[in-house]
Amino acid sequence: MHHSIELAKIYVRLGNVSVLQGVDIEAKPYEFISLVGANGAGKTTLLKVVNGTLKPSKGKVCVLGHDLSQYRDLNFLRRDIGVVPQKSNSSRVPIRVEEAVLMGRYGKIGLMRKPKKSDWDKAYEAIEAVGINRFAKKLVYELSGGEQQKVALARALVQEPLILLLDEPTTYLDSSSHSEIMEAIHTIHHQRGLTTLLVSHDSRLVEQYSDKIYLLRDGKSHLVK
Amino acid sequence: MSWAQILSFPFMQHALIAILFAGIAFPIIGVFVLSLNLIPLRFAMMHVALLGGAIGLFLKVDPLLLGLLFCILSSLALGPISEKMKLGVGILSGYFMTLTLALAFIIIYKADIHVLQAFNILWGNILSLTLLDLIIVGVISLMILIMVFLFFKEIQAILYDREIALAVGLPEKTFYYLIIFMLGLTIAVSMRLIGALLIDAFVLLPAMAATLISRSLKQTFFLSSLFGLLSGTVGLYLSFAFDIPTSSTIILVASLIIAGCFLFRRGASSHEKGG
Repeated sequence: MHHSIELAKIYVRLGNVSVLQGVDIEAKPYEFISLVGANGAGKTTLLKVVNGTLKPSKGKVCVLGHDLSQYRDLNFLRRDIGVVPQKSNSSRVPIRVEEAVLMGRYGKIGLMRKPKKSDWDKAYEAIEAVGINRFAKKLVYELSGGEQQKVALARALVQEPLILLLDEPTTYLDSSSHSEIMEAIHTIHHQRGLTTLLVSHDSRLVEQYSDKIYLLRDGKSHLVK
Repeated sequence: MSWAQILSFPFMQHALIAILFAGIAFPIIGVFVLSLNLIPLRFAMMHVALLGGAIGLFLKVDPLLLGLLFCILSSLALGPISEKMKLGVGILSGYFMTLTLALAFIIIYKADIHVLQAFNILWGNILSLTLLDLIIVGVISLMILIMVFLFFKEIQAILYDREIALAVGLPEKTFYYLIIFMLGLTIAVSMRLIGALLIDAFVLLPAMAATLISRSLKQTFFLSSLFGLLSGTVGLYLSFAFDIPTSSTIILVASLIIAGCFLFRRGASSHEKGG
C-alpha cells in the first residue's frame, strides 16, 4: 500500500530565505500525524507543499500515490484533500455559513453544474458534525475567528477527503476549548478513516492524539514520537 | 418633459439602449472589483488606454480603437504576469500605471500632439453612440450575464476566498484571469460610453450601494444591477430635462442611492440593536 503522504528531502526558498532544508515526512493511510515547531519554522509552508499550492525547489512530494511533479493541474488531487487554514476569512462578501460549507463540494460537483439536494444534505451533515447548526444562516464575516475555523473544518469534511490538513486549528479558541476541538478532530479522523496532518506550535496539546509527531526546527524535520 | 419626447431623438434612443445593457451588466463587474480589491488594476487600465490613445494619435490611427486594444491586451497580460513575478496585481498595476502614463506623455510631447486631443479618449460621450457601439455594449453585457449565470458557484468561491477556491479543486486561476479580462473589456467599453474618468458611475457605485445592504451574493448582483439601471435611466432623464451633463448626472443619482443604502443599513442595524 502506498503512503498517503510522502515528502523526501524537501527544500523551499521564499525570497532569500531557505524555509525548508531537507524535510522528510511520511504518513501512512489512516495515521494522525502532527507537525510541531515554533512560529516561522515553516509548518504552514509544508502544508502548502502537500496540497500542491507551493512547489518545492528540490525534493519529492508524493500524495495518495501521485508524484506531484508529474502533473501540471492538481485540481483532481485537491478534491481529495481537505484544508483547514489558520487565518480567518477577512472577506466582506456576504456568504452564509451553509454556503461556505457547501463550497467544499464545488470541486467535485464539476463546472457549470448546480449543487444538488444530496450536496446540501452532506453540507448539513458536516455542519452538525462540527456543531455549528445554530449559526448556519449567519454571514461568515459576522462570526468570531474560532467559529470561522469550525466553518473551515466543516467545509473540509464536506469534501469527503482522504487527507485532512489542519493548520493550528485552535488558534482562535480560548484554552479551555482546545481539548474539546482536538477531541472532535480526532473522532472525525477515526470515523471517516482519514489521514490527518495537523500543524501546531503546542506539542503537549497534540501528544495524546498523534500516531507520529515531527518537530520542525532550522528547516529540518525530526521524528520525536 | 416625457420619456416619449426624449426618445423622439435617435441619439437618446441609443443612449437609453446602452444604459439598459450597461446599467444591468457592468455593476456586476463592480462587485468583482470590490470583492477582489482590483481598484488599482482599474486605474492602471485607464492609463494603459491613454497610452494606446497617444500612440493612435501619433500613428494617425483611431485613438479610441487603439486605446480599447491596449486595454484588452493589458487585461490579458496583467494576471499571468503578476502570477509569474509573484507580485500582487495591485503592485503591478501601480507599475503599469506610472510607466504607461510616462510613455504616453513622452509620445504626446515628442509627436507634438495637443494634450486635450489625447485626453479626449478619457471622456467619452454617451449621446454620440453609433450602432456598432451599441452592438459592442450589448455583446459584452450579455457575456457578463452569461458568465455569472453559468459559473455562479465558481465565481462565488473565488470572490469569497481565492485560496479556498483553489483548495477545493476549482480552476481558480482560469476564473481569476477571466474576471480580469472581463474587467478590461468593461473598462474599454465604458470609456466610450461615459469616459474613463467617470467609469465608476456604471461599474463601482451601484456595486458599492448593493454591498451595503445585501445579505447574499445573489442579492448583491441583483441589487447592483437594479441600482445601475436606476441611476442610468434616471440620470439620463434628468440630464436631458435640466440640460446638464449626462455622465455627471448619472453619478449624482448613483451617489444618492449609496447615501440611501447607507441610511437604510444604519436604520436596520439600530433596529436590530434596539430590539
